[in-house]
Amino acid sequence: MKKLTILPLRSKRSFFIFCICMIALLGGALIMAIFLGSVMVNPGTVCKILANHLTRKEIYEAAWTASEESIVWTIRFPRVLMAFMVGAGLALSGILMQALTKNSLADPYVLGISSGASAGAVAVIMYGWFSFMGTFHIAFGAGLGALLSIVIAMKVSSVDNKITATQLVLAGIAVSTLFTALTNFMIYYKQSGSDKQKTAMYWMMGSLSGASWSSVIYVFVIFILCVIAIIFFTGHLDILMLGDDAATTLGLNLRFIKMGIIVLCTLLTGAIVSVSGVIGFVGLIIPHVTRSLIGPKHGRLIPAAILVGGFYMIICDLISRVIVSPEELPIGVLTALFGAPFFLFLIRKSKSKFGGA
Amino acid sequence: MADTIKLNVAELGYTIDHHAIIDDINLEIKKDEFVGLVGPNGCGKSTLLKNIYRIYQPDKGKIFLDGEDIHKIKDREFAKKMSVMVQENSVEFDLTVLDMVMMGRFAHKKLLQDSTKQDMALARKYLAEVGMEEYEERSFLSLSGGEKQRVLLARALSQEADLIVLDEPTNHLDIKFQYQIMDLLKSQDITVFTSVHDLNIAAIYCDRIIVLKKGKFVTAGTPEEILTPDLIRYLYDMDSIITISEVTGKPQIQFLPNFKGFKS
Repeated sequence: MKKLTILPLRSKRSFFIFCICMIALLGGALIMAIFLGSVMVNPGTVCKILANHLTRKEIYEAAWTASEESIVWTIRFPRVLMAFMVGAGLALSGILMQALTKNSLADPYVLGISSGASAGAVAVIMYGWFSFMGTFHIAFGAGLGALLSIVIAMKVSSVDNKITATQLVLAGIAVSTLFTALTNFMIYYKQSGSDKQKTAMYWMMGSLSGASWSSVIYVFVIFILCVIAIIFFTGHLDILMLGDDAATTLGLNLRFIKMGIIVLCTLLTGAIVSVSGVIGFVGLIIPHVTRSLIGPKHGRLIPAAILVGGFYMIICDLISRVIVSPEELPIGVLTALFGAPFFLFLIRKSKSKFGGA
Repeated sequence: MADTIKLNVAELGYTIDHHAIIDDINLEIKKDEFVGLVGPNGCGKSTLLKNIYRIYQPDKGKIFLDGEDIHKIKDREFAKKMSVMVQENSVEFDLTVLDMVMMGRFAHKKLLQDSTKQDMALARKYLAEVGMEEYEERSFLSLSGGEKQRVLLARALSQEADLIVLDEPTNHLDIKFQYQIMDLLKSQDITVFTSVHDLNIAAIYCDRIIVLKKGKFVTAGTPEEILTPDLIRYLYDMDSIITISEVTGKPQIQFLPNFKGFKS
């Protein structure tokens, strides 16, 4: 089969245009995700409310109801921002795990890291540990869970210092099953009443319904710190992808970069899972699609994956809110519906290359 | 300066599962020498080289580069002093040829620094030297084995280290490119330490040859000194006739087959 020769976009200019288009699409998705829903708000009103709040001035006279304002500003807008960060963050975690394992099947969900993080978050909520850390305590617990599961998954899946695809997927299944079981055990043991199923569902299937300004802000802090750190090391990630031996001879400090990846991945996944539960396959689809669009070099891949991942998640969240309105579909159901076939396709490809050319 | 010692291996030993792969290796490579490492399959050539370029951590002994213990040199500094080209490469990361060569400039870059015009010019220069300048925009993974090897050599050269270590750089290459690569290495103003499979190539290009067998040092010296039918019999269990080439003035080895029914 002949491949499209235009893709990936190699020139700087085409990459720049790609980013502009993505930002425009994101803007559109943002407005759409705010005006659509069980209560429709006129898109023009949405823009006016946002403009007023973002500039903290009354540019437009308030010709809308207080409930519209509250839907737009305190419910939907933080939720859209959260969706963006969750999508972008999961895509970044996927990229990091793929660089660490040199395997394009790696992602926080497949490796069971998300399940580890959700078990950590549930443990912290149920037992009230680390409450001295304030709003960060759930993220901290989730981070610990993520760290534990990363270590187990990596130990189990590496044979002779190499990570095979089969081992990776098997280790991921085992780790994720273990931590999901722990999560459910804690929920059913500690919680009484009919909320049990709901809580369990929330952590296993993911949801962005809990997004509020306070959670947006703490995820934002962690997200931005991680993104800045990753941007510093895009060149290192490129070198790491050449294989451990080549990377060493080219001057990369392997221990340092691998530790760095684990720390960043733990922080990101922990922060995201603590607010969204387990949302699968985003870290698998987005890096793959983005690579085939703009090539595999991390200097471009990372900013592009942030945009594409954020966009994808905003759209998924929008669909999950409107498709069974006024009910809400757990977002993990949607991402799995899109992601699992894709995962099968990647497994089927005998050699899962880090595409691009 | 001619006699400055570039690389010094002292009492080096490396074991895998209690089995000594190389043992008690001592050798010195002087600045600007072209040294070949020769020996039968499984004699520990690659293991020795991997110890030298720091993939393996020796169990015994030390290695010094410019008089400094190699395990005390920072990664980037090390990559500026020693570049490496290895035979196998299991990359699945699809870069363009030019990008691949640019990776050689990693150790010279500062954090966040993008590739400069000079980096690009260097990469192009070495790509041209290995005869791959037409392939710049091609995907590395789409190249043939020999082409990949030449790109990897260009990458190693663009590291601009004054010592290059190579593990069988002419493997999988057509004859033309075997000689082209050796010519290219010979014309560089750097110290070269390479394992060589083909004894005739080693004889032509190497100032000195170091011989290993079963993980032990056998002998070292100029091709003229050490390449004898006895040594070849000892190493490869083959009979041979060694003459001096009129063209190169270097020893030329003709291996003698066991089959005796050829017409005379």
